[in-house]
Amino acid sequence: MTERREDEGTTREEAAAEAIGAGSPEDVGQTTFAATTDSLQQTIGRDRPESGSYVFPAFDDHHPPDKDLIDDCVHCGFCLPTCPTYVLFGEEMDSPRGRIYLMNKGLTEEAMDDTMVRHWDLCLGCMACVTACPSGVQYDKLIEATRAQIERRYERRSDDKAFREMIFSLFPYRNRLRLAASPLRLYQRLRLGDRLRKAGVMDRLPARMRAMEALMPELQREETIPELTVPTGERRRRVGVLLGCVQQVFFSQVNAATVRVLAAEGCEVVAPKSQGCCGALSTHAGREEESLNFARKTIETFENENLDAVIVNAAGCGSTMKEYGHLLRDDPDYAQRAEEFSAKVRDVSEFLAEIGPLAERHALPLPIAYHDACHLGHAQGIRKQPRQVLKGIPGVEIKEIREAEICCGSAGIYNMVEPEPAAELGERKAKNVLATGARMLVTSNPGCILQIKASLKKMGNDIPTAHPMEVLDASIRGEPVEALLGG
Amino acid sequence: MERDRLIGAMESILGSEGVISEREQLRSYECDGLMNYRVVPDLVVLPETAEHVQRIVKTCFEEGIPFVARGSGTGLSGGALPVESGVLIVLSRMRKILEVDIPNQRVVVEPGVINVWVSQEVADEGYYYAPDPASQIVSSIGGNLAENSGGVHCLKYGFTTNHVMGAEVVLPDGSVVHIGGGRSPDAPGYDLLGAFVGSEGTLGIATKITLRIVRKPESVRTLLAAFKDTEEAGEAVSGIIGEGIVPAAIEMMDALTIEAVEVAVSPGFPQAGAVLIVELDGPEAEVADQFERVIKICEEAGASEIRVAEDEQERALFWKGRKAAFGAMGRIANDYYVQDSVVPRTELGPVLKKISELSEKHGLRVANVFHAGDGNLHPLVLYDNDAPGEAERAEELAGEIVFACLEHGGSLTGEHGIGEDKKKYMPKMFTTDDMNVMQLLRCAFDPHQISNPGKIFPTPRLCGERPGPFRMHPLQKAGIVEQF
Amino acid sequence: MQTKNIPLEELKSVVGEKHFREATAEDAVEGLEPSFVVEPGSVEETSELMRLAARDGLVVAPRGGGTKMHLGDPPRELDLIVSTTRMDEVIEYVPGDQVVRVQSGIKLEDVQEHLSGSNQMLAVDPPERGATVGGVVAANASGPRRFRYGTIRDLIIGITVVLHDGTVAKAGSKVVKNVAGYDLSKLFTGSLGTLGIIATANFRLHPIPEASRTVAVEVESPQAAGEAAQALMRSQVEPTSVELDWSEENRLLTVLVESIPSGVEAKAETASFLLRPFGEVRELSDDEQPGPPPGEVVVKITAPPAELADVLGTILAAAERRDLAHPNITGHAASGVTFVGLSGEEEASAHFVNEMREIWVRRGGSVTLQRAPLALKNRVGTWDNGGDYLGLIRRVKEKFDPRGGLNPGRFVGGI
Repeated sequence: MTERREDEGTTREEAAAEAIGAGSPEDVGQTTFAATTDSLQQTIGRDRPESGSYVFPAFDDHHPPDKDLIDDCVHCGFCLPTCPTYVLFGEEMDSPRGRIYLMNKGLTEEAMDDTMVRHWDLCLGCMACVTACPSGVQYDKLIEATRAQIERRYERRSDDKAFREMIFSLFPYRNRLRLAASPLRLYQRLRLGDRLRKAGVMDRLPARMRAMEALMPELQREETIPELTVPTGERRRRVGVLLGCVQQVFFSQVNAATVRVLAAEGCEVVAPKSQGCCGALSTHAGREEESLNFARKTIETFENENLDAVIVNAAGCGSTMKEYGHLLRDDPDYAQRAEEFSAKVRDVSEFLAEIGPLAERHALPLPIAYHDACHLGHAQGIRKQPRQVLKGIPGVEIKEIREAEICCGSAGIYNMVEPEPAAELGERKAKNVLATGARMLVTSNPGCILQIKASLKKMGNDIPTAHPMEVLDASIRGEPVEALLGG
Repeated sequence: MERDRLIGAMESILGSEGVISEREQLRSYECDGLMNYRVVPDLVVLPETAEHVQRIVKTCFEEGIPFVARGSGTGLSGGALPVESGVLIVLSRMRKILEVDIPNQRVVVEPGVINVWVSQEVADEGYYYAPDPASQIVSSIGGNLAENSGGVHCLKYGFTTNHVMGAEVVLPDGSVVHIGGGRSPDAPGYDLLGAFVGSEGTLGIATKITLRIVRKPESVRTLLAAFKDTEEAGEAVSGIIGEGIVPAAIEMMDALTIEAVEVAVSPGFPQAGAVLIVELDGPEAEVADQFERVIKICEEAGASEIRVAEDEQERALFWKGRKAAFGAMGRIANDYYVQDSVVPRTELGPVLKKISELSEKHGLRVANVFHAGDGNLHPLVLYDNDAPGEAERAEELAGEIVFACLEHGGSLTGEHGIGEDKKKYMPKMFTTDDMNVMQLLRCAFDPHQISNPGKIFPTPRLCGERPGPFRMHPLQKAGIVEQF
Repeated sequence: MQTKNIPLEELKSVVGEKHFREATAEDAVEGLEPSFVVEPGSVEETSELMRLAARDGLVVAPRGGGTKMHLGDPPRELDLIVSTTRMDEVIEYVPGDQVVRVQSGIKLEDVQEHLSGSNQMLAVDPPERGATVGGVVAANASGPRRFRYGTIRDLIIGITVVLHDGTVAKAGSKVVKNVAGYDLSKLFTGSLGTLGIIATANFRLHPIPEASRTVAVEVESPQAAGEAAQALMRSQVEPTSVELDWSEENRLLTVLVESIPSGVEAKAETASFLLRPFGEVRELSDDEQPGPPPGEVVVKITAPPAELADVLGTILAAAERRDLAHPNITGHAASGVTFVGLSGEEEASAHFVNEMREIWVRRGGSVTLQRAPLALKNRVGTWDNGGDYLGLIRRVKEKFDPRGGLNPGRFVGGI
């Protein structure tokens, strides 16, 4: 048995040397822990932003990944075939089991360095592993804690850092997104993208830029959502609605449809103008302070509105908002409020299934492929309700997508920071979607829509996409199928 | 060979993406599904083709470097435990299904193909691959081959060895042979394939495997029966076998297991002393009749509740509950040590009694889940690694269970293999002569003992003279091995 | 022939005077007559005999019922026949475990009788009467039941062997599910006495089916036979056996279905229905079952099961080309095993065998002389020696029998 024992090194090298049982730092080989710029490329198909940063041990005392949760893992490996990076790379370190193993080592035995961070960064946070795990390992909590530690303790390479800062100074702020949207609209109207592609310039842009360019949706005019919408007929519930950031700027029609549906189902809908970002992107990226600030603001926006429920139509956002209690557990001013708030959060399909249908659904003869967004299916366990909602529409035929449990590659900001694996996953998902023969792809997350649409487009096979609420709204309003497909 | 040169040699075969040499990454490969033993490999390589494997093995052979093959790393006996100063050859990237041949009822796959993918591939044609170990959603065919994996349906259908028709094998000297016939039956010569299956990676690495697929049965009926205790359930099993009925599967779970499984996957099993899952399959008329008989036998044995699966969903739920059993132990205990003992079916009753006595004696809980039809028990010794001394007591208890099973005429392992974990028990089941004769086989395949050395046999021996300048074998250096 | 120094007195003292005798012409193995025949009564005696044999360099051929002594090329040397027929007991039988342990010299039919008392059987049915269980294992003999139950290697779960030098070793156990150690039971299956003498063996058993029916279809052409076999393979009927009987008089594909009484009718009906498109269907009575093909020369051809039509076609074409009288062909039609019975002169038979080898070894099969006059064997060899594993087989033989004291020269690759 050669289990390594804990160590109490003083200097970094001595500590690391002892950790592997070497006599002294001199005995340790050069490639063992020294950050080298010619480190081997271990994972297929993308660049490795190394910074040479090194901290030992990997985690400190502020919310490290919980040892008890780590110990829940019995190493059975059931998570491997369902993990997108294991499916792509076939390496243990890029599987949930392997990542948990690295976390375990990081608690006392190993440093946080380029290699470790790389494998954790490559995790999509899709939580398919949580669904598959027979031992109930709460991997979601583990990876979130890990990411927060990385953001605090690991120094990213400057260009990587800059790129991430750019994303986070843009996406969680609707006004800034709008500002960016105008030149984007111009870009699209002038078909600059196609021209750049034809001129061969596109291929010379860095992968991440190309990825972002490919992901851009066709921009519509933004619809304004009223702060208060009255219900049709008798008022059954009073609910708040999260408008979101990307959702509102790029897919405002989804929000409009959501509000209309809720109103038609007897809900008084409140959409406070002052609301901001729910913090999901930040939470999933481990940007702790930032995510807590967003959480607090969101709670403040809704908590005094006397709501029966807070409705979310974006899977990633809903999943995070249900976690506010856990996120703000250390904050005495907010802990209780966060718990109460989270208890009211509902995904819109979840909510509609709870209150039961009221408005008449008109027929929409349409075969659709329903894609389970990871943060809805895996993270919130909501799979039946969206299907219920759709099946309640006469004429709708739901086609199940093969490999449904494997992420499409969107995963928050993943398809921007890790474009190569994201592209492979997107392509895989697109192929499976097309194989269903459906005429429309329906899913509950704007990120997924952007990702799968981009992949379909790349394959030359664009099919219309929609949110379940857009479909239900069309049905309630008696719109013809063509309008839905054209829209 | 100097490590850097070895890395260079492997990279020239695989490219840098196929070679893992950084320490933290190597550490994630230091154990398989059995966490009690850990050895950090010197290097991990991930071949993508049979040719890669051949060249890797050849390099190891020429340099006298031991190697261990690994599939999905879900084995429960430490078969894929790396060897000191050795190379770990991970087959997870060789996962193509190469050929589907329905008329001959065979499929050819690479070793990294996951067990359940084979059935998925041929499901549309109405076929499936019968050996279904509980790990089938993640374990690889190569791994199944190495361990001769069983599964809940092996009572009627047999094990991996009854479903493998041929294999392309890279021998430990880097040469390639095709054993077993593959396309045709009765290959002349010795049954090399039969000897290779279950050899736990000590005779070479299979790079293409021909599997037999079986027509899906016309009718499948599954029931779940609750009993007061395992003894009562055992009566039902005896009754069923005594009637001349060969069920496709008979599985039993005891109270502790039922409890754990309910927390884990909520199959809604009756919370009874023991639960029996019986499945019959075959032509409709036959199954219908026999199923009625089985229900009657269960009733006569005193079943407090009998549930018949009404549809595929319910059937899947029964099996989900059973197959999640090991993983579910994580819910009711911090750690567990799973055994894989076999006893003749008629000895199940006395052995279970003995196990509960031993459990009391050592003060540790033991959950039992087992293949009642063929006497293959999986006692799960539950303990807490952090509680001082408990790990040792657990191992002791596990050892005594093994001896009890041997005393009752059984075997050390029904499907998990000897690997690293049960080496020490081999002398209890086999004499020195027995093991020496087995090693003759090993010497024929692997005279230099570089293929997964140190597994299965407690004291490996080298196989006689070796040509060329004398080089001390790494195991000799480590003092583990003597010259034969 | 060199005369060896055979330690008569010592051998006699091991087994007793009565069980040691001089060999006669009947004891010859493919033309080579041994000096003595010895019959041990136990594993210990067998071991002692082999120890002496090793000490004095005696070459041994094990023998059970003697039904397969003609299989293989002539041995290079032969001093002693070790007969297992005295070791003919059932060691242990537990019906509840569906396992039986027997000494290797017990006749298969005696085992079956013993088991039938509890309505169980060893699910192997080679046609040769009088074969011992050890012989069945050593020769990998099989019969029609192999389609459903597999061959003996799928039924054997444990073995005790005596090596060339008297070493006694066991592998496997008496439980069906066992993966401890190497599966030497399989290694010894079909090894034709070249690795060691099988002393005891353990087998898993099956219940005797309660009822059976045999349905046969008259097939007009090789294509019809091939397609009919395919139809059965693809069905969910789970037949026990699918047998071919093709001669000048009879062209039948015969299906045996077995089940409980209420199930067997349905099975027979389904089988009939499936076969109807290929020819006239009728039910056969028990005594109409086909047996092994008659003929001085019997050639065994293995091929992928789906290529049955081609197998038949090439056999008939080659036989015609070589002017051989109409061959008698039988086979396990859905398993890819076909037997061709020839009666013709040596030249034509030799060409036939070579032609078959040309075609079928290349297509992944094998062509073996099951039975043939010595002259033919010497001309074309029993074994086709195809495949790339001969080197490995030789190494195995070298390890188990380095001095070549067991059946040298009879097996594949001249081992």
